[in-house]
Amino acid sequence: MSRIIATRAIRGAHKLVARAERELEAAVAEKGPDTRVEFPNTGYYLPISHGILGLRIETLGGLRDLLAEAKGLLPPVPSDTLWLPYLGNTLDAGMATLFADEIIEAIKYTRTPLPYLPETNPRDGHLWLGAANDVIMRERGIEFVDNTAPGFAACVGYCPTNEIAVRIARELQEKNLYVFMSAATDGKSMAQQLAEEGIEMGWETRLVPFGDDVTATIHALGFSTRVALSFGGAQPGDYQRVLRYNKNRVFAFVLALGPVDDEKHAQAAGAINYGFPTIADTDIDNILPTGICTYEHVVSPVPHDRIVSKAIEVRGLKISVTKVPIPVPFGPAFQGERIRKEDMYVELAGTDKHGFEYLHGTSMEEVEDGKVEVIGPEIDEVAEGSQLPLALWIEVAGRQMQPDFEPILERRVHDFMNMAHGVFHMGQRDINWVRISKEAKDKGFRFEHFGSIIHAKLHGEFGKIVDKVQVKIYTQEKEVMDRIDTARKAYRQRDERLAGLTDEAVETFYSCTLCQSFAPNHVCVITPERSGLCGAYNWLDGKAAHQINPTGPNQPILKAQAVDPVRGQWQGINEFVFNASHKTLPVFSAYSIIDNPMTSCGCFECISCVLPSTNGIMTVYRNFPGMTPSGMKFSTLAGTVGGGLQTPGFIGHSKRYVASNKFISAEGGAKRIVWMNRELKEELEPELRRIGRSEGIESFIEMIADETVAVTEEEVLAYITRMNHPALSMPPLF
Amino acid sequence: MKTIAIAGKGGTGKSTLAALIIRWLSERKSRSILAVDADSNVNLNDLLGVRLKETIGAIREEMRTRISDLPGGMTKQQFLEYKIQTSLVEGPDFDLVAMGRPEGPGCYCYANNLLQDILRTLAGNYDYVVIDNEAGMEHLSRRTSQVIDYLLVVSDATTRGIATAGRISRLLKELETRIGRRYLVLNRVSGPLPGPVEAAIREENFALLAAIPEDAALLKMDGEGIPIRSMAADSPAQLAVGRMMDGLNL
Repeated sequence: MSRIIATRAIRGAHKLVARAERELEAAVAEKGPDTRVEFPNTGYYLPISHGILGLRIETLGGLRDLLAEAKGLLPPVPSDTLWLPYLGNTLDAGMATLFADEIIEAIKYTRTPLPYLPETNPRDGHLWLGAANDVIMRERGIEFVDNTAPGFAACVGYCPTNEIAVRIARELQEKNLYVFMSAATDGKSMAQQLAEEGIEMGWETRLVPFGDDVTATIHALGFSTRVALSFGGAQPGDYQRVLRYNKNRVFAFVLALGPVDDEKHAQAAGAINYGFPTIADTDIDNILPTGICTYEHVVSPVPHDRIVSKAIEVRGLKISVTKVPIPVPFGPAFQGERIRKEDMYVELAGTDKHGFEYLHGTSMEEVEDGKVEVIGPEIDEVAEGSQLPLALWIEVAGRQMQPDFEPILERRVHDFMNMAHGVFHMGQRDINWVRISKEAKDKGFRFEHFGSIIHAKLHGEFGKIVDKVQVKIYTQEKEVMDRIDTARKAYRQRDERLAGLTDEAVETFYSCTLCQSFAPNHVCVITPERSGLCGAYNWLDGKAAHQINPTGPNQPILKAQAVDPVRGQWQGINEFVFNASHKTLPVFSAYSIIDNPMTSCGCFECISCVLPSTNGIMTVYRNFPGMTPSGMKFSTLAGTVGGGLQTPGFIGHSKRYVASNKFISAEGGAKRIVWMNRELKEELEPELRRIGRSEGIESFIEMIADETVAVTEEEVLAYITRMNHPALSMPPLF
Repeated sequence: MKTIAIAGKGGTGKSTLAALIIRWLSERKSRSILAVDADSNVNLNDLLGVRLKETIGAIREEMRTRISDLPGGMTKQQFLEYKIQTSLVEGPDFDLVAMGRPEGPGCYCYANNLLQDILRTLAGNYDYVVIDNEAGMEHLSRRTSQVIDYLLVVSDATTRGIATAGRISRLLKELETRIGRRYLVLNRVSGPLPGPVEAAIREENFALLAAIPEDAALLKMDGEGIPIRSMAADSPAQLAVGRMMDGLNL
């Protein structure tokens, strides 16, 4: 905890509480204790005292109760010998400040003429709007709830130049944030600077000048308190809920511009109670993570050109781009569209030119969100029918970003690009190919729009992981070739990582309970070597999904102590499965088809089941309509194995799992397969041949029966006996 | 999108008819045409005057034998799609995809399932799809799930030819729901149809769409390997095809 900040904030709080007391007593003396106080046209009394304390203050005299609360919270100013003051005291001082602010601002409303305009926009040189009335609150507050406006920036003080003030305001507006302005320093404020530049202000433009007094900052916090009360369902006085709602739902922060005096420090301390951090352009020291705000609490000094993006990062604000800003229609309907040569304006990469696409994570400092650069000719600088090389160099940064997520994000580039009407994209990595139609080019589509698409979609779909995205588009041979080796090296490393990703190499598996709506007791346990039984989720997907939705259906499960490494039982996994299966499955084996096998929902790609007389198993893919040697068709089998029940001898699984080293490894693995439907066998042929080779049985795949040679268990037994299938000489299954 | 499939015994001039139809469509209707050469004795590309790249058959074999390490961590579906898209021959007035050599031993269900999907999506991009089929109609029955608006069964003007055309047409019985209208087209006809031929047509219950006359220019071109495109637009065969196409509601 910064001693400088704590000392100044607590000192500021003392000053403001003293000022509130002075002004309150003067007002009571002048107007009497029964004089009505209110923020006009609001149904929430004075919002801070009502929301936080549950007070219903309606008179000047009533403000004395609030003053008493403020005084009660005021901690002593830290002595010079206290080197590590406690954050709690600073927070209390901050809250006392907010109470004092509210007293001072409420008194202003007893004056005539009113110091604030009652309208929604400034007029006739009157700048300051004061507290928002209920109409504004209803209209604007809902935007905080549905995320049309993720939050606000409470800007205090002034910028070194008007130009900087305008730039910061514009940048905040572009992010759909409200700009609440208050607290002049030495008579100068950001709102005045904007006014001097002729910038239109008011609720409609989201640039709201509250007041030049430092205490007018309270109207920003009052606004967000009322949002919590009216949209967040918080009860007046339930301060925990009010504050938590603001921390989790209202993405607000304080921008401290110019010199920061004690009183402004005190406001910052008040804002921290709401989870709103302060970012300053001057050096006012730092308060790094301690747990009230999502990340840091106070960060300074930050240069003006980076202050908005830094604030967004520190607040943990996720930028969502709802409309992809490109001049052609965009949506899944345009996937699968081929741009014919005749309709094509330009072609990139493909068989004749080099190309690649590479996404990687890097540090926050190195990525400027939304920045797109085209290095080399743009589409309007090349002739119709041109062929160009293409490198899509995508850099992302995020507090939750991990190298493991890079391929997951990168492989979506194909889907994203194809959604643009007039853009055709094939392949991935260094096998890629792009065409743009003449029509799209005429409508204004440019290479830079690849960047716009990727930026918008990555934020939209991976917002929890990705905070910043920048894209470089290279369309010159030399530039592409200079970088292709870096990308190829990364692809290789990823493949090696994936190949080396074994169950033993990780401490954590992931659960998947996505299907509990169909099978309430079913739990998928996804390990590096066993994907979800639907085939859609592998371990890395589970890991990424958990980051995107930490409370969602994919939870990390610590393996903990191994109970039976051969069958694949661990203490941590057993406990998790027991609880997640609503206490129906006390033991779970990851690698066995016989002992406590994994349950199934109904989404399995394949079913394997024991054919007792063969000492082996059969595996059938869900598309196979015919009869299987188990005497059941797939649909009947599915009824046996699905529904979240452990059925010894039966498992549902993904196609890929057959090729895994952990495929029923407790019973000897894929060598046990004596029958497969032909299409599945054919698809997995390379993998089955590999398994055969590694077992020293070159013709293993030929030993596996299929529907063309056997449809009953007897026929399978006859066939595998003739072929001398290895299952016959393996230990008995039971 | 309208799909025209041309079927018939080998040697009846299916590919020539397909090429004439493609030329007519590109000159009169639209150049958004996908030509599908589904005859394993590939020669539609010669008639159209373009060089083949990779055939679907070759791509399918590559995928079948390729071990699981497909490039770029692609799925088999993605790989196949990429390969097929790159194999497309982009002619002046049409695009051409060639199915290539027939399947070897072993089961092709899996590969063919993927192909069906990809080809259907690809075909959706064109105003016209013209499929030149092999006699056995393997392609139509197994490799596409394409809806056929017009099935043209080609025959010479002999009773035996028409009986064969009837058999081919019946082969597609199970595709009934996917075929809009079927017609008989007689090729290399000289003079009026003999009575027994007309009787055979009635017997097979065929609707005769057109009789394309013998055309010396065609024979000459075939011999010299000159593309149809270079043929005079007023040659008897081309004119007859034009009249035939006018009769279809395209």
